[in-house]
Amino acid sequence: MSEHDSVDLKPTPGDRLANFYKRSDVIQSTIFGVIVTGIFVILGGKFYTKWMPTVMSTDMKAIERLMVVFTWIAAPVCGVVLGVALYTFLNRHSGDTQPPDGPATRTNGPIVLLWSVVTSLLALTAVIYGITELNSSSIASAKNAEDAMVVNVTGSQWVWTFEYPKLGVSSHVLMLPLNHPVTFHINSVDVNHSFWPVQLGVKVDANKLAETIAETTPNKLGEFDVKCAELCGLYHAYMETTGEVMTVDDFNSWVVAQGGHSA
Amino acid sequence: MTTLDQHVGTRPIPNPKKSLITKLNAGTGLIVGIIFALLTYRGLSTVLDISIYELNNRVLLATMFMWSIGFLAGIGAFIGPIRWLIGEDLTAEEQLYLAGDGQGIKRYFKYCTDHKVVGIQYLWGVIVLLAVGGAMAMMIRTDLANPGGHFITPSVYNSLVGLHGITMIIALIIVATGPFGNYIMPIMIGAADMAFPRLNALSWWVLFTAIPVLCSAWFLGGIPTGWTAYAPLSVQAGPGMNAFIAAIIIFAISTAVSGANITATVITMRAKGMTWNRVPIFVVGATLSVAMAIPAFPTFMLAMIMTAMDRSFLTGFFDANVGGTGWLYAHLFWIMGHPEVYVILLPGVAILMEIVPVFVRKPLFSYTSAIVGFAGIVGLSFLVWAHHMYMTGWMPMLNGPFMVTTEMISVPTGLIFLVILGTLWNGKPWLKVPMLAVYAFLWNMLVGGITGLYLSDVPADMYLHGSMYVTAHFHYTLMGAALTGAVAGLSYWYPKMTGHMLHERASYISFWLVQIGFQVLYLGMFIAGAEGQPRRVVDYAEQFATSNKISTMGAYTIGIGFIVLLWAVIHSWRHGKIAPMNPWGAKTLEWTVPYPVPLVNFDTPPVVTSDPYGYGRSAK
Repeated sequence: MSEHDSVDLKPTPGDRLANFYKRSDVIQSTIFGVIVTGIFVILGGKFYTKWMPTVMSTDMKAIERLMVVFTWIAAPVCGVVLGVALYTFLNRHSGDTQPPDGPATRTNGPIVLLWSVVTSLLALTAVIYGITELNSSSIASAKNAEDAMVVNVTGSQWVWTFEYPKLGVSSHVLMLPLNHPVTFHINSVDVNHSFWPVQLGVKVDANKLAETIAETTPNKLGEFDVKCAELCGLYHAYMETTGEVMTVDDFNSWVVAQGGHSA
Repeated sequence: MTTLDQHVGTRPIPNPKKSLITKLNAGTGLIVGIIFALLTYRGLSTVLDISIYELNNRVLLATMFMWSIGFLAGIGAFIGPIRWLIGEDLTAEEQLYLAGDGQGIKRYFKYCTDHKVVGIQYLWGVIVLLAVGGAMAMMIRTDLANPGGHFITPSVYNSLVGLHGITMIIALIIVATGPFGNYIMPIMIGAADMAFPRLNALSWWVLFTAIPVLCSAWFLGGIPTGWTAYAPLSVQAGPGMNAFIAAIIIFAISTAVSGANITATVITMRAKGMTWNRVPIFVVGATLSVAMAIPAFPTFMLAMIMTAMDRSFLTGFFDANVGGTGWLYAHLFWIMGHPEVYVILLPGVAILMEIVPVFVRKPLFSYTSAIVGFAGIVGLSFLVWAHHMYMTGWMPMLNGPFMVTTEMISVPTGLIFLVILGTLWNGKPWLKVPMLAVYAFLWNMLVGGITGLYLSDVPADMYLHGSMYVTAHFHYTLMGAALTGAVAGLSYWYPKMTGHMLHERASYISFWLVQIGFQVLYLGMFIAGAEGQPRRVVDYAEQFATSNKISTMGAYTIGIGFIVLLWAVIHSWRHGKIAPMNPWGAKTLEWTVPYPVPLVNFDTPPVVTSDPYGYGRSAK
């Protein structure tokens, strides 16, 4: 089609705008979008806090908060996508013959620009927030607090062993004193494992001859699970044990009962 | 003039009926392949003591590769190259014979160079792989239906998880580019065939030889590693691991051949007038996908070769005792592994982008954004691999940068959403099954993308990594988005590939069963993951019982849905409603050719004067 032929067919810019932002389309998609966004905002606060296990450390608290905030960041995206999807779905053409042609909109500069900018900003928000949290979490900076208790964690097929070098105790359950920073030095004697004390919000791989370090401070009394999060062979599923966060007194008496000397 | 011409000219033209080529097919391939394998095994096992770990591994690997070579020799893959070696080529008659015209159903079991035959071969290959992988998934979910259930042993379970994974990954890598990339794409760009028809046949039959190799893992004790095959677990593993290694190496060769072929075809064989801004979006997506695979898969192959060396020659690439490291494996694996998920995703998305304009009767919204989105994904996908390694302890200081690149991918992915939503905007979609799949994609990709956001974030990943949450997330993207796209492509192009319409009611029923079952299955799995259930476990604590039961019910629903679809595909192949030439009223070139598609596709080469999205009334 040459330039000259198409000139007559071209609608005026005003026509095109009116056609693109058709009132009923805008209203319907906005209503659906707002409803969906609202649902996701509410779900964001509920889903993870409902299903995630008891929070037993500041790290775990931060993780839970992250999940909630990310759901909120995502909520408007869901709103836009599902808003448009739902309204067109309801305006569908029924019948066995194909529908008449819709408007020949090939692009819309401002919309493309706006979309790119907004999604970039949302991604940027997620990045900035994530990096801030990362900076304060244990894996980035094993801060090695002066008074931190060291626990050597050893993964072997298919058992966890916890050694408290300063206390002269070794155990297959992980006992930790309340509100006392602890530094895990994690190793494996065979294949890769992944040390995961679930409620403490810590997870680091155990590699052979390459020690990894993680730090946390348990802040709630109670039992927690220790699992292996890296497929490590036959009995991977059963490579789990329990741990307990106890008061300092209880912890000391446990250490003594195990034949160690209390700190 | 030249001596060569005279030489060729004076030779009697062999009668193609008596040529060796006419006698070879998959049957002779099987026979020669098995003979090669048996001879290799018997020969080597007399020389090498197979009770020793590394010697046994050598014997098994050699046997598997010789099977593959033997099969290809037996089906006639090497006749052409051997002729070249002695300064000749196949005669015109032989080439025509290889194209398989007029040979009926037999040509599907031959080394056939016709891209349409290769497309159908890939289609059935994919269906078989998906059926096998799906059956494994059903067994996994049956085992996980109840805590403490001992439906299968841990050893069988681990093998199931690994083989389900790799079978589905292979199936999904070829699910769109195999059938549609081979059958439809050349017609879509107005070409008579692929750029390298013989390589096309080679890519399929090489892939075919990988399937029995992979299956043999079952009979060699299974694989304990999952499809990621992390070292040092893979080095410790039993003889079944050899099957995994050999299958991956053979598959990587197939994808390299196929990728080079598709890329070359799209670059050089487009119809007159099909400038780069007039190429149908499916062609762009499929080409970028295979172009991404070309640099990505060799690293997986390399990782497998190194694993094989560690196992067969006791080298120490991944052995910490002698200075190696498993991190090296993880790097090589994920440098393939992350581009690979987009290799799977792009063609599926591109199919849906091809479908939306047809069923909404509007031009594709912002073609440029689609290209930028695809290109952005391709570029970024090579810079994000270490987000799979946040928790390995490899280099925590790089977690931040990898988090940034990973979250940046949401921007080009957002453009893909924009293109589809923009095309839907102001439209009245015609909700045939392919169009329904677009809506399923929007929801599934949204969930998959957003859960990916949590996983890309280091602190959140610290909790979610290695849990069922990850499993649910990547099934949403790979199955919910990519496979949904491919199934949509099947019902969209089925009329052109078989001459019949796909049974409509059955495909509706299948669609809803699969999609509803899918939501149920993975909602349960998201919950299990949030609760803290690790993935790849044969058994779990009582607290995860409810969520797992929900998942298993969803899985069975999906299983039934796919059985319905399989019935529809088989039934409609012969008995479906006869399809008109252009049942959807689409404007791409494949709908301008009749069924059966002529050998060279077009009587006269088409000339393209616009892009294929000229739908729509003028806005007034």
